[in-house]
Amino acid sequence: MSLISVSFFIFICILLIIYYKVKPGNQWKVLLIGSLVFYAWVRPVYIVFILISIISTFYLMRNPVRSHWILTLIINLGILIVFRYSIYFDVHSLIVPLGISFYTFMTLGYAHDCMGKKIEPETNIFHYALFISYFPQITQGPIGTYKDMKDQLISPHECNIINIKEGGYRCIKGLFKKLVIAGRLTYYVDTVFSSPNNYNGLTLIIAVFFYAIELYADFSGYMDIVCGISRMLGITLTENFKRPYFSRNIQEYWRRWHISLNEWFKEHLMLPAVTSGWNRKLSKMLGKLFPKAKKGTLRTVFPLILVWIITGIWHGAEDVYIGWGVYFAIIMLFSVCTMNYMKKLRTKIHWNDDNIFIRIFQTLRTFIIVLFGEVMFRAHSLSDAFSIYKKIFTTTRISVSEITSSLTAFGNGNQALASVIILTVLILGLFIVELLKEKDENSFMSHRYIYAAGMLIVMTLFGVAGQSNFMYQAF
Amino acid sequence: MKKTVLTLLSAAVIILTAVILKNVYSCEIPIGNRGIRAAIKEGDLDILFIGSSTFRSNLDIHELDKAYNGRDFIISYGGNQYTATSVQYDEIRKRSSNDYGLMVFELDPLMLTEEVKLSDSRVIWDLSFAGKKALWNKLKTGGITNKSIMFEYFVTSGMDDLITYPLTEPFYSTRYYKGAKTDDTPSSGKEFLENEEFDISESVLIKAQEESVIEIIEKCRRDSQDFVFLECPHYYRLSEDPVYKEYHRYFTDLMVKYNVDYILAGDIDFDDHNPDYYEDMSHMSGLGRKTYTEELIKYLLKTGKETK
Repeated sequence: MSLISVSFFIFICILLIIYYKVKPGNQWKVLLIGSLVFYAWVRPVYIVFILISIISTFYLMRNPVRSHWILTLIINLGILIVFRYSIYFDVHSLIVPLGISFYTFMTLGYAHDCMGKKIEPETNIFHYALFISYFPQITQGPIGTYKDMKDQLISPHECNIINIKEGGYRCIKGLFKKLVIAGRLTYYVDTVFSSPNNYNGLTLIIAVFFYAIELYADFSGYMDIVCGISRMLGITLTENFKRPYFSRNIQEYWRRWHISLNEWFKEHLMLPAVTSGWNRKLSKMLGKLFPKAKKGTLRTVFPLILVWIITGIWHGAEDVYIGWGVYFAIIMLFSVCTMNYMKKLRTKIHWNDDNIFIRIFQTLRTFIIVLFGEVMFRAHSLSDAFSIYKKIFTTTRISVSEITSSLTAFGNGNQALASVIILTVLILGLFIVELLKEKDENSFMSHRYIYAAGMLIVMTLFGVAGQSNFMYQAF
Repeated sequence: MKKTVLTLLSAAVIILTAVILKNVYSCEIPIGNRGIRAAIKEGDLDILFIGSSTFRSNLDIHELDKAYNGRDFIISYGGNQYTATSVQYDEIRKRSSNDYGLMVFELDPLMLTEEVKLSDSRVIWDLSFAGKKALWNKLKTGGITNKSIMFEYFVTSGMDDLITYPLTEPFYSTRYYKGAKTDDTPSSGKEFLENEEFDISESVLIKAQEESVIEIIEKCRRDSQDFVFLECPHYYRLSEDPVYKEYHRYFTDLMVKYNVDYILAGDIDFDDHNPDYYEDMSHMSGLGRKTYTEELIKYLLKTGKETK
């Protein structure tokens, strides 16, 4: 059941009515049944694997000892690896269970927190099952933590008209981003990336830029929808995006993009790796090579590389994802290793971080670094990605004929100009809204009705119909 | 609550108004230089081309003007399918009593393998509501349609053009003349043309397209309209592809079967190996367009296909 479908709309309406009609103490049961129905709707067999994960982890973590932790890892990662990566080993193609990467991470996060005594193991298996299977977040996250979610999911919620309205507004916003902005950019991006050798450098630059916007609009649009639905149910989900393209450096970018995944990696992989014995040994060896380097810096080197390669592999075992992970590992390492030198240099040249031009420069620089990485993330293969880089650097020219030729990917000439105008307005609109929100988180709070009406009109008249899949569903 | 209902209601009213405007009145909006409406406005013509962007790019309207004393026009839509061409023919007949010496339809073998769909939203823009309904029925019977495609057809398609009309129309007016491109499109160069990727290996015959070709033939005969099917020369890499050749044979067999006049790419003295003549596999550069049209006119005059 896609989030953008009539069946999902009906499902939500029925669920909301039942949710607020039953005794408050039974609301979580409605959510659990609804979540399992939602999950089974796509393919009933999927439910088997999530149940294996839920039951095994729940019982193993009731007594969180090392052997149970290892067994939990084997079961959950085993299922994940078999399904997600079997396609690379010429095994009979298996149908990947919906949201397996996301719920596996939630499961492992729960187990790790139990092991680290950060939380008390859950005693009610149905409560735990609801945490893992809660339908708005199961397909694409956010990867919620048990600590944040448990009380919200279990405790009763009163039907609050403000929650319904705010949730509805957020859903409209998400649909708008997905159907209008991402939907419109898809065509151009897909056309260019499907045969990049057919296009000139300028077209490729536009396609990469559009892809960055598309990915953001698609993924954050999805998050808006699920956060909106949760809000209607009285539940607040972790925010996954905080206007990442306004980041002024790459660390900040990763604190604002796919926040829950990056938090998960930080909590459950980076920090344990930094304090691990193997890392201490390796960083000591590295220290001999770089005697002037600070200990803290040396200790982050190997965990950083590890985290970024795993982040890449988490997206898929294709060379492009690994390349993408390595690219960001290098950027992050460079950033960490040069941090102190840069600080000194900035003081020396009286670099003022608050200067508007410097802020714009830093934001643009970060965005360009991200765009470079997105080439690998979107290309079909590393060789495609490298040929895109090559073309961008060798064939980009700004001339009337190059600009005209870059429009061909919009479809036939008849539609191109209108598409360009509409897209420019939409992207500018999104940019202005995000910029104003960057300055003041609460802007657009008043006059919400007008914005909602405007978005509904634009969505209906200019949205791309027939879209049901979100990009991150593939992961 | 009151505010919410009011918001939804006002949004619904605006949406409904825009949808009605688009579906009923879009064909009335004056478009100077292209499409069905502009063609009708031209009055009687010696020659009227109806086809896809290939016609728009590969026929030099100034050369045609010289040969036909300005009594010529090209109706073209991106990827214009035979299913749509058939409806466009009806639309021209219904909305005018103009006399056309010769109608030239496109002979595109690969169009027979195109899945029936709306290939260009401008088709919607130019059709009357009855025409839109007729085309929708064709899409329904010959292609894959569902609720979202229907929504796209009647609601979103062509909306971009409608809303940007004041901005785009002046631009198009300078870019097109009598439905043809007027800019001097440069060649994309040999390297590009020799490496441009295309894959037609999966092509299969779509019956609805073939039926529409037959429908066009029958309609022209019913109206005693002189007509011919014209194949524009593609860059040799495409026309020498075995799949292309297969459908090319199929199309010409169809023409022979129905005893229809047709002009093949090979009938015209034109070098389809010359990269200077092409922008891509099917669309010509300004130079290619001029050279091809000159030769085409010579052929038409020589064979007596130029007038009724």
